[in-house]
Amino acid sequence: MLTPKERLKMILEGQRADRPACICPGGMMNMVTAELMDEVQVSLPEAHSDARKMADLAKAVYEKGCFENYGVPFCMTIEAEEMGAKVDMGSKVYEPHVVEYVMDSVCDYRKLTPIDLEKGRAKVVLDAIHILKAETEGVPIVGNLTGPISTASSVMEPVIFYKELRKKNKEAHEYMNFITDQLIKFGRAQIEAGADVIAISDPSGTGEILGPKYFEEFAVTYINQLLDSLQDEKLGTIVHICGQMRPVYREVNELHSNVLSFDSIVPMKEAREYLKDRVLMGNVSTYALEFGDPERVKMLTESCWKNGSDILSPACGLGMKSPLRNVQSILECLKEEA
Amino acid sequence: MQTKEELLQRLSDCVFEMEDEEVVDVVNAYIECGYDPQEGMLQGLVDGMKRASAMYEEGEYFVPELIVCSDAMYAGIEEFQKYLPETEDNSIGKVVIGVVEGDTHDIGKNLVRIMMETGGFDVHDLGRDVPIDTFVDYVKNNEVDILCMSSLMTTTMPGMSAVIEKLKAEGLRDKVKVMVGGAPVSPAFAEKIGADGYTRSAIEAVEFAKKLVGAA
Repeated sequence: MLTPKERLKMILEGQRADRPACICPGGMMNMVTAELMDEVQVSLPEAHSDARKMADLAKAVYEKGCFENYGVPFCMTIEAEEMGAKVDMGSKVYEPHVVEYVMDSVCDYRKLTPIDLEKGRAKVVLDAIHILKAETEGVPIVGNLTGPISTASSVMEPVIFYKELRKKNKEAHEYMNFITDQLIKFGRAQIEAGADVIAISDPSGTGEILGPKYFEEFAVTYINQLLDSLQDEKLGTIVHICGQMRPVYREVNELHSNVLSFDSIVPMKEAREYLKDRVLMGNVSTYALEFGDPERVKMLTESCWKNGSDILSPACGLGMKSPLRNVQSILECLKEEA
Repeated sequence: MQTKEELLQRLSDCVFEMEDEEVVDVVNAYIECGYDPQEGMLQGLVDGMKRASAMYEEGEYFVPELIVCSDAMYAGIEEFQKYLPETEDNSIGKVVIGVVEGDTHDIGKNLVRIMMETGGFDVHDLGRDVPIDTFVDYVKNNEVDILCMSSLMTTTMPGMSAVIEKLKAEGLRDKVKVMVGGAPVSPAFAEKIGADGYTRSAIEAVEFAKKLVGAA
């Protein structure tokens, strides 16, 4: 019997495992629900800023049979906050979100504070990974990074950011280099702390928003720069891209990650067709997970599996009110069918 | 002197080709010739934005292009407004729009606002991270035809349902049509929470809104 870590390793290396893995990385891909928090008596927003609680909540996700990984953090505001953006920590049901930007133009990036790994919530995340590494084995630990475009458009007004990709192209590249360097530093520290997998989600850097040209010029370039700068001592990397892939399959295939993950708008069958040799992850509807029932979730799980998903996961972050029974049904289905 | 048609075409081209500085000069040239400002806005600037929207639908323009085009349109409109009487209201309907509480992702909402304004609606933007009561109070205290809400996170979607429930509780639900949108939102969700409609894109939103106010 494979441990979850052994299974994921095989899948990432392109080998045939006994069945697909069942992973929800964390970060943008939220896997914490209200019911889970109640069961283990560890709650958000406290766990966003407390390493012990963060690790405990991450453990609960695996222990309660939801997913076969630990993942931290549970939001995508850490990088922005450490660089100076003001963040509202949210509540039990709302995720933290940026409420005040640092700068008005890509030209102002020197106003940003470089991420300091020794303090703030960057340290909380690293400490939580240390705890998970020390107290667990056999289950992959996923460290999450907010993608370069999403980070860059979290410390300034996105409308101006998108506009300046065109109008201040050179400065926009300088800015993206700075942002990517910060993410590299944070990512490398997560691996050093014990993260087996790094997952990068870049919901603001989609092909639908940017178009193929800017998607390649900004999203693919800097995600690859980030991926290529992470150390080799890790199981692998996941990149989650939101939205339609049709206009950008060629560009997406240029991403250097081990795994590509999509949201529910992308039919798994279509992704498999266009990305024959890639390890694919996804994409059980989060709507079904929140409002459906276990039968429906199992049906969708089977269909994803059949259509070529190597790693089953929710298509997006989970809604906080998703019933635990539904969430657990993905993994249950995989175990029953294996 | 350039003909009105030539200048209208140049206004339209400035927007379509993202010339957000040149557009102001063309507006001034148009005004100096004594042509009608209202016509310049609609047949010139808005026409250019409509051409940009068509390119967006065809997958030739994307968000960065649309934003720069709309910047040019707004720069031109601002210049024209110096020559327009303030009271004139030619809008085809009143829209209030916002991103629900807990969510600060508003690029989609901003696009919908731009397209709604291009389409002839008068839009009041409540911004992002908007508390439930702010939506309800606005509907209560203002004449509004359509309430548009969006969310880009699964976790904040329930806020849209909460607004609709509160509108019902206060007897305001029949006063407005409600449209919802955002990446994680689906037609099924819209129907479940009792919205009047869901649209997938900013362009579709305008068409749908026009139907709701009987202007399509």
